[in-house]
Amino acid sequence: MNTRLLEKEWPALAVAIALGFGFLAATSPAFLTEFNIYVLLRSFCISLLVAFSQMTTLAVGQLNVSIGALGGLVAIVAGGLMEKLGVPIGVALAAGLALGALCGFVNGVLVTRTGIDGFIVTLATASVFDGINLGITKSIPFYKMPAALVAFGTARFHALPYLLIPPVLAAIALAIFLARTSLGRYLLAVGGNPQAAELSGVPRARIIVLAHSLSGFLAAGAALLALAQLGSAQPTIGSDWLILSFAAPIIGGAALGGGYVSVLATALAVVLLTLIQNGLVLEQVDPFWVEFLLGGLILAAVGFDRLRAARAGGG
Amino acid sequence: MTADKPATAGRLSILSLASSNLFGLAAIVAVFWAIFVSLTPNIASSFSLFAISRSLGIDIVVGFSTMVVLATGGMNLAIGSIGVCAVMFAGYLMQELGVPSPLALLAALMLGAASGWANGVTIVTTGANAFVVTLASASLFFGAMLITTHGTPFEGLPPELADFGRMRWGFVSPMLALALAIGVALAILFHFTALGREILSVGANTRAARMSGVRVGRAIVVAHTLSGLLAAVAGLMTMARLGAAIPAIGRDWLLPSFLAPVLGGTLLSGGAVSIGGTILGALLIATLRAGILTLQVANFWLQLFLGLVLLCSVALDRYRGGYLERKSARVRA
Repeated sequence: MNTRLLEKEWPALAVAIALGFGFLAATSPAFLTEFNIYVLLRSFCISLLVAFSQMTTLAVGQLNVSIGALGGLVAIVAGGLMEKLGVPIGVALAAGLALGALCGFVNGVLVTRTGIDGFIVTLATASVFDGINLGITKSIPFYKMPAALVAFGTARFHALPYLLIPPVLAAIALAIFLARTSLGRYLLAVGGNPQAAELSGVPRARIIVLAHSLSGFLAAGAALLALAQLGSAQPTIGSDWLILSFAAPIIGGAALGGGYVSVLATALAVVLLTLIQNGLVLEQVDPFWVEFLLGGLILAAVGFDRLRAARAGGG
Repeated sequence: MTADKPATAGRLSILSLASSNLFGLAAIVAVFWAIFVSLTPNIASSFSLFAISRSLGIDIVVGFSTMVVLATGGMNLAIGSIGVCAVMFAGYLMQELGVPSPLALLAALMLGAASGWANGVTIVTTGANAFVVTLASASLFFGAMLITTHGTPFEGLPPELADFGRMRWGFVSPMLALALAIGVALAILFHFTALGREILSVGANTRAARMSGVRVGRAIVVAHTLSGLLAAVAGLMTMARLGAAIPAIGRDWLLPSFLAPVLGGTLLSGGAVSIGGTILGALLIATLRAGILTLQVANFWLQLFLGLVLLCSVALDRYRGGYLERKSARVRA
C-alpha cells in the first residue's frame, strides 16, 4: 500500500485529460460550445456515481456485478411510486435510495453469512433484481414523471447541469469518509488484509456489509439521476453500467484485491472516459468503438499496473 | 481471490460426495418435471421435448465452457463475446466469401480457441485477476465484432446448417448428442490424462502444483483455450438452431454459464469438476425455462427464478465445501 501511495495515478490521468481536451478543442469546433460541455457533464454525473458504487466494494476486496440491475430496479420502483401511486418526489427518491441501500445490504449479508464469493452472489442477485424489474414492468417504461423532477433533470447554470450537485457532494463525502473517518479506514483495512484487520479488532463482516450497502446506495443515486435526466423510468437503466463501473476505478488505480482506492483518480478516470465518449461522437467515429476502447483501456491499465509493480519490486 | 487455497480433499471423498450431489440434483429435476407435466401436459409433447433437447445441448456446452476454467480456479466472462465472434466470423465466411460450411465452421472454432488462448496468455503474463482480464476482453471481442459487422446479421447461410438445427432423432436433437459427446471427451481429459489432472491440480493448490513440477501457466492457458473453443461450439450450435448468424447470440449466457457447473457441484475455488453435474445443472435450467415458458404465466419472472436457483445452489455448494473440509481433515487425522 505504501508504494502505491508514493506513485499516484492522478498526474498521468490529468495529463491524458489535458491532451484529450486540447485535441478535441483544436479539431472540433463544437467541443467547447456551452451546450456540448453541458451534455458532457450530464453523462459525467451518472458515470461518476456508478464508478463510486463499484469503488466502495473494491475497497473491501469485493466485486459487485449487480450494480446495473440494482440501479434498474431502483429507477423502476421510484418511477412506479411517482406515476402509479402519486407519491411525492422527495418521498419516492428517498424510497429509491433506501431500496438501493437495502439491496446492497442483502448482497453484503449473503456474502458474509454464506462465505460465497461476492462475484457469484451478486451475479445471482443481479438476476433477481433484473427479474423483479421485468416482472413489474413487463419491459414497459413508466413515462409520466413529475414535471418538477424532469425540470431538475434538464436545468442548468450555463454549462453546469444541476444534476452535477449530488455526485460532487458524494465525491467530497466519500473522500472525507475514506481518508478521515475510522470507519472509512476500516473499509480499506479489511480490503488490504482481512486477517490483520480482524486481529486488530475490525468487525470484518460488518464492514463488508457496510461497503455493499454503500455501493447499493450510490448505484441507486446514479439510477435516480438517470431517471431525472431521461424523464422516464426505463427498465433498461443500468444495463450498460457493468464495464464502466469497473473501468473507472481500475484505470484510477484501485487494487482489485482491495485495500486501495482513490476518489480523485477514479473521478479523473470518469472524466477521461466521458471525454473519450464525447470525442468519438464529435469526431463521428462509429459508436461501436466505445465498447472496444473501454475493454482496451482496462487491459492497458492492468498491464500498466503490472509494469509498475514489477518496477517497484525490482527497484 | 488469487491466493493459494489449502488442499481440500482426497479423491475418494470427492467422488462419493459428487454422486450424492448428483442424486439430489436429479431428484430436483424430476420434481420440477412432475410439477410442469401435471400443470401443462404440452411440455411432454414430442415437439416440446425436441425443442428442450436442442436448447439443453447448447446450455450444456455453455456450462462446459465455464467449467473448464473453474477447474483452475479462474473464470471466463468473455464466453458470450467469444461465441458471437465465432458465429459472425462463420457467417461472414459463408455468406460473403462463399467458403464451404465445414471450412468456415472450422475457422470459427479456431477463432474461438485463439480468443480463449489470448485470455489465458494475458492472465498468465500479467498475473492479473481472470475476472478483470475476461471482463475487458469480453468488451474488446464484442466491440470488435460490432465494428466489423456493424451489427448486421448474416441470414443467407447454407441450408445444411438450418437443416442440422431442425434435424430430429425421434424426439431428440443431435445437438444434445453432440453436447454429450463433448462431455465424454472432457471426462476422458480430466480423469485419464496427465494434462487434465494438471489443470485440476492448479485449481486445487497452485503452489503445491508448481512445486510438484506442474507447468501452471501452461495449464491455465490450455483451460482458457478450451473454454474459448467450447464457447465457439455453443455459438455455432445456436447459429444452426436459428439458421442465421445474429449479433445477439451469447448476450444472455453469463448466468447459465455459471449456473450449470455450480449447480452440478463444480467447486468455484477450482480443483474439482463434475461433468455429469454440469449436464444435470443445464437440464435443470432447460427444464425451468421450458416450464415457465410453456405455462405462459410468468415469462417475465424467469430471470428472477434463475437468480434464486443460483443463490440457493451456491449456498448448498458452500455447505458442501465446509463438509468437504471437515471430511478431509478427518482423513488427514
